[in-house]
Amino acid sequence: MALPLPPGLTPSEVGFLCEMEHVTVIPRQTLDGLELLGGPTGALKPPFPTPLPLWLALLLKKQRRANITPPPWLSVDALTQILDFETDERTAELFSPSPNLPPATTTAPLEGDPYLAHDSLELSAPFLKDAATARAQADALPYHWLEIGHLLITHAPDDFEDLDAVRKLLRDLREVRMSKLRKGFEVLDAGGGVKMNGVGGMEIAEVRGFVGGVVDGLRKLNRSREESRKERETEERENGFGSSSYRDDEDEDML
Amino acid sequence: MAARLRGRPAHAPGPTYLSYTPNGKKLITVGVNGALRVFQHGSDNEPAIIDVLTDGHTAVASTNDFIVVGAEDGSVTKYSLLTNSMEEILVRCSLPVRDVSLSKDGEWVAVASDELAVKVVNTRDMTRIMHLRDQSRPVKHVSFDVSGSTLAVSCTDGIVYMYSLSSEQPQLIKRVDGLIKTLETDAEANAKVAWHPDGRAFAAPTATRDFQCVARSDWQRQKAFSGGHRADISAAAWSPNGALLATAGVDKSLCIWETRSQRLLKSYDDVQNTILAIDWHPTDNVCSYTNNNGELFIREDFVPGEHAKHLRIALQPSPMNNDPLSEISGNARKQLSNGDKPNGVRRSAEDQYLDDLLGPDAMSEDEMDFIEDDDGAGYAEEMNHVGKRSAVTDAGRPAKRHAPFAAWKPQIHEAFQPGSTPWRGDRRYLCLNMTGFVWTVNQDTHHTVTVEFHDRQEHRDFHFTDPYKYDKASLNEKGTLFSCRPSTQTQQRAILYYRPHETWTTRTDWRTQLPAGEEVTSMSLSESCIVATTSKGYVRIYSLFGLPLKVYRQKSMPAVTCASWRDYVMTVGNGPVDGDGTTRMLYTVDNVRRDELCQSEDVVALREGTELRNIFFSDKGDPCIYDTEGVLLILLHWRTPGQAKWVPLLDTKTMDRLASGRKDETYWPVAVANNKFHCIILKGGDVYPHFPRPLLVDFDFKIPVSSFPAGGVEDEDKDVAQQRNLEEQYVRASLQHALASDLVDSTNSTSAQRAEVPVLERDVDKALLQLLAAECREGEERGMKALEIASLMRDRTGKMLEAAGKIAARFQRDILGEKITQLAERRLVGLVDEEDM
Repeated sequence: MALPLPPGLTPSEVGFLCEMEHVTVIPRQTLDGLELLGGPTGALKPPFPTPLPLWLALLLKKQRRANITPPPWLSVDALTQILDFETDERTAELFSPSPNLPPATTTAPLEGDPYLAHDSLELSAPFLKDAATARAQADALPYHWLEIGHLLITHAPDDFEDLDAVRKLLRDLREVRMSKLRKGFEVLDAGGGVKMNGVGGMEIAEVRGFVGGVVDGLRKLNRSREESRKERETEERENGFGSSSYRDDEDEDML
Repeated sequence: MAARLRGRPAHAPGPTYLSYTPNGKKLITVGVNGALRVFQHGSDNEPAIIDVLTDGHTAVASTNDFIVVGAEDGSVTKYSLLTNSMEEILVRCSLPVRDVSLSKDGEWVAVASDELAVKVVNTRDMTRIMHLRDQSRPVKHVSFDVSGSTLAVSCTDGIVYMYSLSSEQPQLIKRVDGLIKTLETDAEANAKVAWHPDGRAFAAPTATRDFQCVARSDWQRQKAFSGGHRADISAAAWSPNGALLATAGVDKSLCIWETRSQRLLKSYDDVQNTILAIDWHPTDNVCSYTNNNGELFIREDFVPGEHAKHLRIALQPSPMNNDPLSEISGNARKQLSNGDKPNGVRRSAEDQYLDDLLGPDAMSEDEMDFIEDDDGAGYAEEMNHVGKRSAVTDAGRPAKRHAPFAAWKPQIHEAFQPGSTPWRGDRRYLCLNMTGFVWTVNQDTHHTVTVEFHDRQEHRDFHFTDPYKYDKASLNEKGTLFSCRPSTQTQQRAILYYRPHETWTTRTDWRTQLPAGEEVTSMSLSESCIVATTSKGYVRIYSLFGLPLKVYRQKSMPAVTCASWRDYVMTVGNGPVDGDGTTRMLYTVDNVRRDELCQSEDVVALREGTELRNIFFSDKGDPCIYDTEGVLLILLHWRTPGQAKWVPLLDTKTMDRLASGRKDETYWPVAVANNKFHCIILKGGDVYPHFPRPLLVDFDFKIPVSSFPAGGVEDEDKDVAQQRNLEEQYVRASLQHALASDLVDSTNSTSAQRAEVPVLERDVDKALLQLLAAECREGEERGMKALEIASLMRDRTGKMLEAAGKIAARFQRDILGEKITQLAERRLVGLVDEEDM
């Protein structure tokens, strides 16, 4: 209770969490596989590319023992394409979709409903495999795109073909998407909602403070109106008039 | 000659320009007055005069049938040469026209005026017009390249803009900065780009009064013609075959240069006025120029007699710093029947006509790979009597004397060194593989060789100055092997040089010389021996310490390439001629230590028209080839004579990443290792990897069993795709099982290798079980196929058939289950064996 942290993950925590993502590394020297808490890593044998957790890859990179292959979505072509999608008039309200989910692994007790199986373990956004390795999907931004992009650009600048273009595109993308998020919250009112499909972890962490504040403020402003409305409803109910349907005001807490 | 030198007063005193028609019959001059003059070549008669409405003409370009003239009033007019009259005004600019240039087919005319944009107008339909607007200042000159697909625009801001006109929408492909001087549009000095007739390079006058060549492939500066002029260059022209260059300066100088050596052949000092335009006659030793005083000079015997032979030779290469002379082929032998490779005497009209029709495409491979002997070291001379050689109308050689030599010749495959690339700029890779890479830099007098390793901990990169100019290298975990070509000048013989990475004595690197006149066409280094195929048809095998182990004559010659792995040596040579006129490539796999032939003169299965791109052994020791169609093939059962067959592992053209059609890429094969294909992605029509070294990429194998659409498929398609996937998996697993069991059967295998075979066998059966499950799901009526699948199971213990029975039971296919049980029982008692299935 006394912990002064705001609710939810802070940006630095999200940044820390993204280091569990796997990236593809081209080793420059041999290293046997390591037994890590997160699971064993493959043996490094130059020049075979091997997936490694980002934190380990960055460590090796700093010691010049490895090169990191940027994921396909971090190329100029892919980023330009995604940016075009974001800025296109027809899709201006949407965020570019997140990567496809892997096919369901468990067989369904009911036809076509694998997610209802009790023993199923279907992975989704932050736990998807290969979100940032060389096998990642090229035309979609994964959940941790902003953090990984930033880390790779700062720590492995020499592994990019066109660093400045990538950096510029990432910045553009970030600004476009952030402005979309902000615009979305202009309409936030009691009972309002914003569709945020495809938003990344860092973006949520960044807007959380702002949006939380706005929504709380709105709630405070509307409190008197709410209370009077509730009073009126109870009165009406007591007076025996037809009951108006109960409206769930808890919607606002979705963030 | 000085006596004959009398200017013909063609126009009123003032700037005058000229142009020869491509057939050389007519010469057109334009000047300040309102008339054009059409001179007949070889006739001293008065020229025909076309009276025109405009005056102050500033540019002329001609085809055989019409000319295009630009004038200071901004009009560009087309005149017919058949009727000597005006046809139409093609375009009108608001400011004076400065230059016009016609594409070789006469279809398009580019117009430079004092307006900012360059207009490119169709000469037949003047409504079709393209605007090139990337330059920031007025343009002084325009120049179409030989193919007509690239336009060089010399702008007054000192930048040459290169536009590609091959698509409907012109595209700026390059700004060449710092080449030309900033000039006023009406200056006498010139900044016009002159394309060398071979199309690989262009040249332009620089601010330092040189004439600088620039390669078109990478826009790097090449050789320069310097020291001839004391003032700015005012006009320049390549001779029609590109062997000579004529330049004129504002200081009233006129020079002839030899392209090959950039030597000044002759400098004329009898020029009275500044020459503004020069043009060579397309065939004769005649060069004409016009000056700023309205005069035209037609100089016959322009090139002095002792150099006149330069005009009669065939198309010469442009002066590049590193001509791909020492290509990976090692210049062992030129292609015999490639008549369009210019060596020998100029080609016949038919050939030229064909070339005109086909034309070198803007970025075509052929043009990039232009191989030419330019140092006269003797390769081209040897070629002359076998290469195609047709008579020339005016070269003074009777046609029929050479006719027999123009007979059909088979086309042979050129020798190449696996994993090497040709020169690009002053660098090339000598070897690129999974151990590391070797590259060399040309420093004119010597080369510098750098060897870098992927594994920096295991080996240390090294670098040395190389006076021998090594042109081939082979690298593996143990050492590096180099070889150089024999040199005629220094009597240097071909050398093999081996440098081990690690020794426990003092250095044990060694050099060995090949006999005189023999050169290495390809070589290979394995963990136990060194193989070199030579131009004399020998295969020479050395130990790692330089001890010659064996020499034998290759059965199919000339050699193409070789590869080796441990004691296995694979040599590839040109065999008998195939139906399409090319030779068939034959390979031989030889175990050097046991002296056994595994495969003798078997066919390298390549489709018609494809070439071998690379050949290597996989990390498990199976020979692999990669062809120019992008298919990777592996040799199966090659240890048993006569049993070998080529099996495709991956067709890169059908990979999912290319399915969208948006990517235009090819792959440079590097290795097959860890059950993956390792390669370098080449983008934008590149054929070879360049610097900086691109990253290696790996792809999983996918045997082209069937093609199915990738991504965005309907639900029922998904099932089909899944099914196809399983089928492919089955074929691939069987292949891998066959490869592994071959290895175990015929070598002293390690226990790990022996343990791998049952695992692979299980993989095959697993794929079959999945296929069986899919069939069972489909329904009762697919029972026959399901039974067939069950009978394909490799497992001899009956466990897999038991599992198959369980699957059938789960889907309640009782009859199938019974049959599978029967099959299992019969197998257990040995009633069914392999043959019965």
